[in-house]
Amino acid sequence: MEEGKAYIESGILELYVLGQLTAQEQAEVEAMAVQYPEVKQEIDAIERAMEQYALAQAVHPAEGLDQKILARINSEKQSTAETFEVPASVPAKASDAIVVQLNRDDNYETKVRRLRIALAACVALLVVSAVALFSARTELDSAKDQIAELSLDKEKFTATVNYMKQTNAALQKIADMTADPNWKFVKLAGTPMDPKASMMVYWHTTGKHVMMDNRKMKLPATDKEHQYQLWALVNGKPVDLGVFDVNADSAQILVSMKDIAAAQTFAVTLEKRGGSPSPTMTQMIVAGNVSI
Amino acid sequence: MAATKKISLSEEELVRRLKAQDTIAVQALYDMYSGALLGVISRIIPQTELAEDLLQETFIKIWNSANSYDSNKGRLFTWMMNIARNLSIDKVRSRDFRNSGKNQDIENNVDFIDSQKEITFNADLLGLKDMVTALKPEFNSVLNMVYFKGYTHVEAAEELNLPLGTVKTRIRMAIMELRKHFN
Repeated sequence: MEEGKAYIESGILELYVLGQLTAQEQAEVEAMAVQYPEVKQEIDAIERAMEQYALAQAVHPAEGLDQKILARINSEKQSTAETFEVPASVPAKASDAIVVQLNRDDNYETKVRRLRIALAACVALLVVSAVALFSARTELDSAKDQIAELSLDKEKFTATVNYMKQTNAALQKIADMTADPNWKFVKLAGTPMDPKASMMVYWHTTGKHVMMDNRKMKLPATDKEHQYQLWALVNGKPVDLGVFDVNADSAQILVSMKDIAAAQTFAVTLEKRGGSPSPTMTQMIVAGNVSI
Repeated sequence: MAATKKISLSEEELVRRLKAQDTIAVQALYDMYSGALLGVISRIIPQTELAEDLLQETFIKIWNSANSYDSNKGRLFTWMMNIARNLSIDKVRSRDFRNSGKNQDIENNVDFIDSQKEITFNADLLGLKDMVTALKPEFNSVLNMVYFKGYTHVEAAEELNLPLGTVKTRIRMAIMELRKHFN
């Protein structure tokens, strides 16, 4: 009883009637109304007062509005009845099915169209890629050719440079020889076997080096079975200094031969390939004495 | 006016027929309450045409949702009144209403509608106006804001810069005065 009274005096019932409460609060008030008859009674009294208040301040609508409302309600009633009938009819269902089918076709066609466009795009891309690849390949090939050419050129240049270096070194050496009194320049003149033949031998008396000057070698070319052999005559005895071929194209200007500590004469004989242990005197082509 | 026969039914009968979707209930409800409901709507939406459109919508909704009315939870008029007020408030707050340029300051609507319509009180209710004006104006204004203007009591408290408890008390005091008058 006391609780019900306190609840009434809280003012929540007025808010309830005025529609000011949340759904949860409303449910609470409704539960209280069921439990306490005086709460229910109070709500009813408030409602009646508000109803009278509203009636006292009524604004009368225009004539005929009630007929409009009734007409709308009646037409809604009819249309509701109609819509109930529709699902029962078979043709409506059949047409529904067709509509779905059409929609599906539409969908399918759009998909196919989309896929076709995608495919065309892929093909176009492939063609472009192939062309690009081909042109890149061609360029790469020509670049490779160029590189091969350039490296060939480089090799040639390197060979030339090496040749020139060697030549230069040899020439330098020859130039240096003239400044060194230990180098002996021995000119070998042609014998009656070939009077036109001649060659030059450089000999270092203390270093024992023996070299031939390829530029100044004027000897007839040898065949495959024969080679020239250089000899030094030491106190009348011939000493083998090695065999050689005539090679005018050789880059080498100076050709080193075996060392010799002392010699009075240098001579060259034509021997069988590989050389002989002692010179064949009849085949001596050039000879020259060391000047002192 | 005198020739028109007004239908009046007891509340129990009205509810029974309304739930049975008998259109006679609509006619009876209209005859009994259309003025009171339009009074509520007009105080929120003063444009006559719009207000009458909303009155139509109110009756359609009453008709369509008759089954959701539970007589254990309150009187039929309270339920109808809340439908009318909620539809009106929704309209006022809708984009098309606000864009129409017709939005008069909602606070002025009650005075505006009263002066425009020159509301006449029923003979047996004479003295209400005096009573209401006799009521402390601060009590009355809070009730009217909530009952007629579509304010929530929280919004009213903010608007009047009053504590929520004071607003609740004033609403209760105003209704107590009304009850004294009507009973």
